[in-house]
Amino acid sequence: MLEKTKDIARQILQEKKADGILGLMRGQWNIVQPHIFEEPAELDTLVFEPKWLLAKLAMRLLRSSPESYKLAVVCRGCDERALIELIKRNQIEKENIITIGIACNQEQAALCLCDRPYPTKLDAGEKVSGVDPFKDERVRGFLIGNDKERMEKWADVLKRCIKCYGCRNSCPICICEPCKLEDEIWVQRAVVPAEMIPFHLIRAFHLSDTCVACGACQEACPVNIPLLYLQFSMRKTLKEQYGYEAGLDPEMKPPVLSDAFEEPNRDREDPAWINSMRERDGV
Amino acid sequence: MATICVFLCKCFGEIDHIIDFDLLREEVSKDPSVSLMSIVDSLCLETDTEKAVSQIKEIKADKVLIAACSTLSRGNLLADSLVEEGVERHRIGLVDIREGCAWIHSSDPEGATRKALDVIRMGIAALQHKEMSDDMSVTVNPSALIIGAGPAGLAAAISVAKMGYAVSILERSKAPGGMLRLISRCYPDNDDASDKMEPYIREVESNPLITLYPQSKIISFEGDTGNFTLRCTSQGKDHSIQSGVVIIAAGAKIFHPAGLYRYGEIKNVISQMELERQILNGSLKTEKTVFIQCVGARDSARPYCSTICCPISLKNAARIADDIPGGSVFILHRGIMTPGQTLEKYYRDTLSKGVQFICFEEDQPPQIMGNDYVESIEVYDAVTGITRTIEADLVVLSTPLVPNSDNARLAQILDVEVDRYGFFLEIYPMHPLETKRDGIFICGSARWPVASDQAILQGKAVAMKAVSYLRQDRLVASTLSRVPGPKLGHARVAPDACTGCGNCVAVCPFNACQLEKLEGRYISTVNLMKCKACGNCVSLCPNGSIQIPEHNYRMVSEMMHRAF
Amino acid sequence: MNRPKILIFACKWCGLIGADAAGKKRSSLPPLFRVIPVECAALVETDAIIRALADGIDGIAVLGCHIGGCRYNNANHTAIKRLELLHDLLDTTGIGSRRLLLCFGTAHENHQFEEIVKSFIDEVSSLPPVDPWMSPFGDTN
Repeated sequence: MLEKTKDIARQILQEKKADGILGLMRGQWNIVQPHIFEEPAELDTLVFEPKWLLAKLAMRLLRSSPESYKLAVVCRGCDERALIELIKRNQIEKENIITIGIACNQEQAALCLCDRPYPTKLDAGEKVSGVDPFKDERVRGFLIGNDKERMEKWADVLKRCIKCYGCRNSCPICICEPCKLEDEIWVQRAVVPAEMIPFHLIRAFHLSDTCVACGACQEACPVNIPLLYLQFSMRKTLKEQYGYEAGLDPEMKPPVLSDAFEEPNRDREDPAWINSMRERDGV
Repeated sequence: MATICVFLCKCFGEIDHIIDFDLLREEVSKDPSVSLMSIVDSLCLETDTEKAVSQIKEIKADKVLIAACSTLSRGNLLADSLVEEGVERHRIGLVDIREGCAWIHSSDPEGATRKALDVIRMGIAALQHKEMSDDMSVTVNPSALIIGAGPAGLAAAISVAKMGYAVSILERSKAPGGMLRLISRCYPDNDDASDKMEPYIREVESNPLITLYPQSKIISFEGDTGNFTLRCTSQGKDHSIQSGVVIIAAGAKIFHPAGLYRYGEIKNVISQMELERQILNGSLKTEKTVFIQCVGARDSARPYCSTICCPISLKNAARIADDIPGGSVFILHRGIMTPGQTLEKYYRDTLSKGVQFICFEEDQPPQIMGNDYVESIEVYDAVTGITRTIEADLVVLSTPLVPNSDNARLAQILDVEVDRYGFFLEIYPMHPLETKRDGIFICGSARWPVASDQAILQGKAVAMKAVSYLRQDRLVASTLSRVPGPKLGHARVAPDACTGCGNCVAVCPFNACQLEKLEGRYISTVNLMKCKACGNCVSLCPNGSIQIPEHNYRMVSEMMHRAF
Repeated sequence: MNRPKILIFACKWCGLIGADAAGKKRSSLPPLFRVIPVECAALVETDAIIRALADGIDGIAVLGCHIGGCRYNNANHTAIKRLELLHDLLDTTGIGSRRLLLCFGTAHENHQFEEIVKSFIDEVSSLPPVDPWMSPFGDTN
């Protein structure tokens, strides 16, 4: 898979389809870092491991490059989805990006609890089936179980938060400046640990329909809070109710932006004047 | 911090017999931003209002908070009375301590007082942080453009002209009158179609305020409410029309039953419009007439009922029964649609003339029998369960009205929407005959199948709506709320904070937001004429860069902090 | 006894008319709720609801007009979808979607306001407190 990717990348550079390839390089002292490969010879040092998301870096690079600069990105499934979400939100122009899609192996998919460990445009590697996060043991207690258990389990992990903003900074979708997590209106600055409800719920909810389940937030967290698990049930609802998955289709708008009448899949009863809880539980 | 004048109204005992005003006075006075607190017996009394206003002016307060009855009862009127005395509306805040505190918590005076205190503190915070949105105004071109010269368009034109405004009518064909030119009589009064249209056409041709442009084709359209410019060609000449409002009365067309019930394959199976033509030119020859309803309607391709085809068949069946005695007339239907007293009577009258009705079902349609000519029809009568064979020498297929084929193109040019069938989309049911764009209206069959009486009614109705825009010299954006009362405000974008994600553009119910490219970034801009301050953009903006100043998130947050 | 604390966002059309009518009827409700009128349910930010929970408010109700009845061309549709997604997040974290009530009805059904508030107060009283989520440095007011 690595050799095939290098061949594809070399060909792209030789045919001048892109001005540079963004990927990971094993450089001096064996340190792996993101690198823009502009000469075919450099591609000998291209590596895939460890998993590192390049979407946000690609966005920043394109912003500081001339308008005609074309960048090819070596990307896994989640990276490609992140790039598509950024394109949808007008942060990257579609014409400036080419993807070289690589598939993740089963171990990586299990680590990330990923149900789609491959990009739509797959250039190298074999697709594996991925895992269903709701069936995994690790999420037990966080997503499954009774309310009280869940509340205590989450409170237990979230109180470790040191408000380093690593989750927000590493998330490929979080690109707002200023950010609501620092605006002093909903979230106060200089309060550590982060106020659990405002900081974490606002962050999680803002990503509800754009989260691509890459796990970068979780990997960046220095105190091991399983932040990725917060998104799973919202992603499941979007998929089941509206047939929507973030980052799959560059043309499809998230359901919260469109009129309910246009969605034939939606089978939830809209809450009538009568208590929305009654409707759901038949009380 | 703004200085605030607070007026607490006792409402002549209604409020103060539950709520402890002494406690309120004590606590509210502690707030450093309150420069004056005054308790009055009843703010609706003119003397108390005048006194209040002089107090406000004396201490030069920045803002005024009125704690009295709810906005829906007299609160807004109280604010208005202050406005009349010279206090600006945006400086006035209203909180409800009557319906919301005294009356609804009358069994717990202590709790009600605590709530009243909280509510007043929330009101003070709201006033402190409320900001004012931008506004704009445009001059209005005091003329109307009407697209289509059928009954709806003509009625609208005449009504608008009667009120003194110039009207231009664009008509696609050579002459006005719409579909009424092609038929003989109109239901339910059986009046002659051309006699009906004649006075309208005469008025349109003679009234100096009305200009009719036949043989026209629309090319392009631009502008905003109050100032639209349409470019078109009429009788081969290019020209443009400026107007303040646009009324779409472009009508609909009749569905052609090609391929259904052996139409085109066998003689004497005709459409309803062909029947009308034969009646008009006197070539109708029949003794055994059969009408078939719902041809190409109420099926999977077109699930709607076109509402006018049943009365039209009744009209023609009754006429044939009258004019050709001794013959037989059948109507094969899937349910006769004649709502209302007039049409019900129309149905019974037709029945009394000997017209016979047979009900069939969608999955068992009548079968046309015959080789070159129609000889008979086999129909499964759903009521009796018996299959009957009826002799026929003429079969009339009753087809629905369908949208004009160029509705989609016209909708794109005018930037309005069509519904899933292709008819022009109004905001149903809250704003009848109006589209998403202020100043662009729809009426007649372009909106939904109607017959001429309804079309004329809608034309007149839409003329009134149009004139409510035209009669203003200047159209102020904050008045375009489409409801009684002005808008809350307009959304405002902080251009440095906007990421250009396009959420607001996608979600705005009135298409008021647009992305513009500035210095390599996309930034959202708000069209003040279109924005109605519903707040969808605010809730979907990822970082709060779009806000409605009168209800901004700092204000909400401060209100929430003081809520309990 | 001044718990539970309920915050009601009422749209100025159906929601507020309902609240007003309950007041006019002199129905007697416990003074445990505060009403913030909004232009449309669409104006209720999810961040505001989350912040309200952090401020110690036990339950939040959003009252709007029913589908098809929104003065702002179905702005309430997107509001409903967005708020229902928030239900999912509240459920995941155990705070519970029962703390967020969504009611969309017509002004004519204003007699339901009383019933809704009473049953919501009962409902929220029976929920376990959100205390484990409150940071030790004092989120509660």
